[in-house]
Amino acid sequence: MDDRPASLPEGSEEVSFAAFAKYVGPIWRLPDSENGGLKRFAFLATEKHMNSAGSVHGGMLMTLADMAMSQTSRLSSGARSCATISLNCDFVGPGRLGDLIEARVRVTRKSRTLVFLSAELVSADHIVLIATGLWKIVFES
Amino acid sequence: MSAWPRPEFSAIDLVDPFEVHVGPAYQEGQPGSRRFAFRVDERHTNRRGVLHGGMLLTFADLALGAAAWDMTDQAPCVTLGMQTQFLKPARMGDIVDVQPLLLRRTRALLFLRGDFVVENEPIFTATSVWKLLGQD
Repeated sequence: MDDRPASLPEGSEEVSFAAFAKYVGPIWRLPDSENGGLKRFAFLATEKHMNSAGSVHGGMLMTLADMAMSQTSRLSSGARSCATISLNCDFVGPGRLGDLIEARVRVTRKSRTLVFLSAELVSADHIVLIATGLWKIVFES
Repeated sequence: MSAWPRPEFSAIDLVDPFEVHVGPAYQEGQPGSRRFAFRVDERHTNRRGVLHGGMLLTFADLALGAAAWDMTDQAPCVTLGMQTQFLKPARMGDIVDVQPLLLRRTRALLFLRGDFVVENEPIFTATSVWKLLGQD
């Protein structure tokens, strides 16, 4: 059964396979934009994602930021695993029920062991959250 | 593994659908100095089998939000920002708990901090700023 939201761009694929991601998902990877410079991830805001004020819960917005930035760390470094070290989020505006909430992630700097990232979360063309963060490349011992 | 919830903790009556979805969460103590906790279960893990960052971030929002609610005599407030550091992984069965601290309150803003521990060892820390609705 295909439960893709109608608003999802062509070529998107599901990336929520681990327990928590699947439980709060599905979460999708969208085709890159800006010649691959911007990685894009999204979820459709449904009832389970909301707070009692009628906006998307901040925890779900930060979850998307964390997942999108972690996956971008892996994609850009080629590492099998990256761990979140720090994540800073500003809540700019509310996310609404029924919107496709999209994270647009950019790599600011990559060193041998660390990846610095920034992201914007957009809901129906307005910014809902901006984030910066630091990821550590995990070397298998 | 010790019995959970410990007798001093009671389940929080969660209202936000997303918190109900990822909960339960527990509390102990008096309003203004409450301690909050949850137990990591299978739903909360990532592909490495450890606690997913998204669950910690959600629990931080829940716990610091509940503390803000206590400290404003239940005035409605919204999160403006949250700054976090992930110190150490937590695993299935771990009990994560936090006692949020009010750093400063102005007419319109609340500054809070939470140090999250598993068996008294810090695993995660968050600061957050909250805006009281309707205050300039």
